[in-house]
Amino acid sequence: MPWLERNSRRIHYELTGPGDGPACVLVNGLTQYVKLWMPFRDGLVAKGFRVASYDMLGQGQSDKPRLFIDQADQVAVLGDLIDELGPGPIFVGGISFGGVIALRYAIEHPNKIAGLVPMSSFAEIPPQLMRLGNAMRTALILGGTTYLQDLLFPMNFSNAWLEAKSDLIGLATHRGWLINDVYALQNLMESFLEFEPLTPQLSLIKVPTMIMTGEYDFLTPRTLQDSLRIHIPDSALVIIPRAYHAFTLERAELAAYVMARFAEDVIAGRWHGKKTIWVAPEEVGGELTPFPAGFDHLRSIPVRLETPERAVLSEPASP
Amino acid sequence: MSALLGPLDQDGRVPAPQQTRIAAFLMSAHGAQARQLAATLPHHLLQPWQLELHAQYCREMEILSLLTRATSWVPDPALAFMIWRWEAAWMPRPMQGAADYFHGLLVDMAALGHAIHAGIRPAALLPEGVAAMDPFVLAMRRIEFESGRLLQAQILFLKGPQLVDVRDQVSAAVERRHAQVRELWTLMLDGLNVGAE
Repeated sequence: MPWLERNSRRIHYELTGPGDGPACVLVNGLTQYVKLWMPFRDGLVAKGFRVASYDMLGQGQSDKPRLFIDQADQVAVLGDLIDELGPGPIFVGGISFGGVIALRYAIEHPNKIAGLVPMSSFAEIPPQLMRLGNAMRTALILGGTTYLQDLLFPMNFSNAWLEAKSDLIGLATHRGWLINDVYALQNLMESFLEFEPLTPQLSLIKVPTMIMTGEYDFLTPRTLQDSLRIHIPDSALVIIPRAYHAFTLERAELAAYVMARFAEDVIAGRWHGKKTIWVAPEEVGGELTPFPAGFDHLRSIPVRLETPERAVLSEPASP
Repeated sequence: MSALLGPLDQDGRVPAPQQTRIAAFLMSAHGAQARQLAATLPHHLLQPWQLELHAQYCREMEILSLLTRATSWVPDPALAFMIWRWEAAWMPRPMQGAADYFHGLLVDMAALGHAIHAGIRPAALLPEGVAAMDPFVLAMRRIEFESGRLLQAQILFLKGPQLVDVRDQVSAAVERRHAQVRELWTLMLDGLNVGAE
């Protein structure tokens, strides 16, 4: 099991895929740990990528500082892992909290990576997200890790997924409870207490950037990712259909396919972000389509209904 | 060596010798916390933070009472030596660099509380198939759950603005207490043929 060391702290990471392939580094969300990247990682490996995933300070099997975790240390750890991978194109993808760390790395090191993929991420904490974050912190303090996970499941996944995986959710909750520690998660959350918006610095990101967002993500809604698109020069926004916050788990193969295509386009010199907006295909192998011209991509309406039945079903039950 | 308690008996209960050793360790650690809190509390509560200390004291006493009644105790001659070693470890060691001796003591007390509440996770040792309604099992889960709440007082104090100037010393004191508690907890589990990792 490989480990990195930084200031006498040990960082657990895994490296998979062909040794000579272009590399992807995956940065966890708040309650995530390395194993939860497996289906996403396998999708990238199948496309010939070398994939590094790791537990941040305070997560999983990495060391957990007892009182304070500084986000600058998280950025430094990501830098150490990128350095460990050696020469060759390196793409960094981070989800949610991990997306913030990836953004900060790209701002501070404009020339060290080949491409950036922030997923369900944000550069600012507007009131809704602040209040949700505070509520989740209170949930953790009063109800423990399990209660926090109970809150996160319906934010992260669709009804269909929750229904189909109902037998696995108890096991996943138990594993999450075992591998996470209350004080460590609390430290990670509290590393946002002095968070300064990154938006003014986003223009410093020079690398090709593909921003991914779930169609129905209400934890970090599309406006937050659109702000990234507006301010990062060589960027494009890709909407993952029928997905919520944690699409790297629920739609892992599709999300990995979209990231692999991005990396291949960058390596081949075909990538032109131009702050465009795209809709990912429904399935692996499909084509990305431009968001329809003339429609506001930040609104949920208007929606073209496919059948009259759907129209009837979607009418409100009462005026 | 197993990572979990057991093997369980036919009713899914943790063996009594394991219950005894674990409960003795927890009573020693939480008992030390209760004693330190009792010594710190004035007869008449005058400040808001003293109410929190009082709440902590009551919860620690609840844990002790719960362990006394929920554990299937059996004679364990080795406990005499172990308890002596544990109690010696909980003795106050004022943090160096504090404003005065009393503040150094408070930091050490909070550091020890942080280590006990955050570092000891007895419910994580319960194997699959354990009798969910067994009193000892319920006690382990309750103690771990309550520890997450008790921890908040230590976090608030240790991360508070009054200790910003000695943040490095505070972190070092907390790390030291964590290492100490972890070593004793791991040693005790080794004796039960249970690996803490």
